[in-house]
Amino acid sequence: MAMTGTILLNETYKRFILLWSYKFNVLTEMFMIGFLFIGISFFISGGKPDPELMASALLGYLIWFFAVSAISDMSWGIREETQTGTLEQMCMSPLPSGLLQAGRSVSSLIWSSTMVILVGGILMILLGVRIPVRLSALPVFALTLAGLYGFAFILGGATLLFKQVQPLANLLQNMLLFLNGSFLTVEQMPSWLETVARTLPTTQGIVVLRRVVLEGASLAAVWQDGSLVWLTAHAAAYLLVGWFVFLWCEQEARRRGVLGQY
Amino acid sequence: MKAAIEIESLSKIYRRRNGDDINAVSSLDLKVAAGQVFGFLGSNGAGKTTTIKMACGLVLPTTGTVRLNGYDMRKQRGQAMRQIGAVLEGTRNVYWRMNAWQNLLYFGRLKGISSGKRLKARAEELLRELDLWARRKDPVREFSRGMQQKVAIAAALITDPPIVLLDEPTLGLDVQASRTVQKWITQLAKDRGKTVVLTTHQLDMAETLCDRVAIMSQGQLLAHRPTNELLDLFRQEFYQLRLRGTVAPEVVERFSGFVASQENGHTVLSGAVSDGLSVFDLAERARLLGLDLISIAPAAPNLEEIFVELVERAEQLPTQSAVTQRPVRVTGAVQKI
Repeated sequence: MAMTGTILLNETYKRFILLWSYKFNVLTEMFMIGFLFIGISFFISGGKPDPELMASALLGYLIWFFAVSAISDMSWGIREETQTGTLEQMCMSPLPSGLLQAGRSVSSLIWSSTMVILVGGILMILLGVRIPVRLSALPVFALTLAGLYGFAFILGGATLLFKQVQPLANLLQNMLLFLNGSFLTVEQMPSWLETVARTLPTTQGIVVLRRVVLEGASLAAVWQDGSLVWLTAHAAAYLLVGWFVFLWCEQEARRRGVLGQY
Repeated sequence: MKAAIEIESLSKIYRRRNGDDINAVSSLDLKVAAGQVFGFLGSNGAGKTTTIKMACGLVLPTTGTVRLNGYDMRKQRGQAMRQIGAVLEGTRNVYWRMNAWQNLLYFGRLKGISSGKRLKARAEELLRELDLWARRKDPVREFSRGMQQKVAIAAALITDPPIVLLDEPTLGLDVQASRTVQKWITQLAKDRGKTVVLTTHQLDMAETLCDRVAIMSQGQLLAHRPTNELLDLFRQEFYQLRLRGTVAPEVVERFSGFVASQENGHTVLSGAVSDGLSVFDLAERARLLGLDLISIAPAAPNLEEIFVELVERAEQLPTQSAVTQRPVRVTGAVQKI
């Protein structure tokens, strides 16, 4: 247990040191994330954004930011570590590789939460948008992130095996922005696109989060109408499949001898 | 003597995208005694790095086993991993944007040291020994190549592992930095009793540092002996032909396996007598080519000359004999020794 805590903190410690050394890039990224939201909102609303609709869009947008962070970490991050040789050093740890991967994910989560709180807070102040903080949203939020990280593990595994998955990662990030229901709810999409959108990792999470956070629905209510049940099943499936795919890809990369090869 | 590394029937076959198989390592059997500096030599593509990576658990063998201090890398991975520290070739191995102190603490925890006090004491000890203590808070990217390599070695040693694998540890280092690393390798084995496995193309360094060497070519082991024994074995085969004046390169090529150098206006050809030739045949060849032979004398070969000789012989052998590893006697020395 102590070792698990040490590993989780160790990965977070490394991430914050490395990000601090890229201060300017981080600041630029924060500005870009904030600016992009304002820009898209103004375009969609014809220059007159409605604070109520903006709250709904911002909630989805911030979840999308978690997705961007998780996907970048598993694609660009792993590729970068492969190139520098630090990935091989990580893989030489006597600790279980699943634990190290969990540590990596937790550190990514801590980092993106920090960014979301900062960027989200600034946007709420600037745009006069209010997103209430409700404790009942926590399990929904956790399930949304679990599914999202499961999805990111699949990409991480693919990166270990094929290395060049960055274009695919970029495509997925952009698809998620427009299809996860942040700016256009899934009900407004054509039925075939709605089906596609609902299979994506964050869409159902955003639907349930909006009901709990913005509409004040109870967990019991969203469970009874089936939306939380679907989210739970969806998240569990993504997490389990992602986890096994990652571990399988790592083993396969060791078998093919491409773990440290770029 | 207790074996630190035991490799049995180790093979690795890589499959190319077109379906072809590449035998990177074939049926390798090797034991490395504890406390030795062991040189693992071979040309590029000989299979050294694949073997080292299989010993580190980074590449899964197709067949065979690797045991580190008795722990099977496949079945007891965690315990086996605790026996080694490695610096791999061609990569940074540590985070250049972090400082030396941060790197050592990070890798210490990553490799299972949970006691902060013990970890900090060990990190300080290593940084002081490597003369990095004063610059421990500078980012590694600001260090010279030699200092960066020292940080990578320190990170590999942070858990004080009994076995240290160093893949090309002096590659790209200047003479002074290379000497520091070499001195440290010697100290690790002699003073600390660690087993050091070293792969290098700098054969003069291997000759100086290694108690024992293994030479690989095309995935197979050509030689595995104590360094002195290997030098002695080839001493009877090496000759120097001193020829008056300068000899044209195309003429030198007629003496297969011989290397030419100039000395006081003379050409000196050094190499092993092979291809069934005797020393008398060499003299006869020189006469037929119209060369002015001054002398022929036995010469003490260095490791580089032996390496070249063994690899050339292996490459000249038909594929079948190389694959079966049947010992092939070539003028006194056997192909696999």
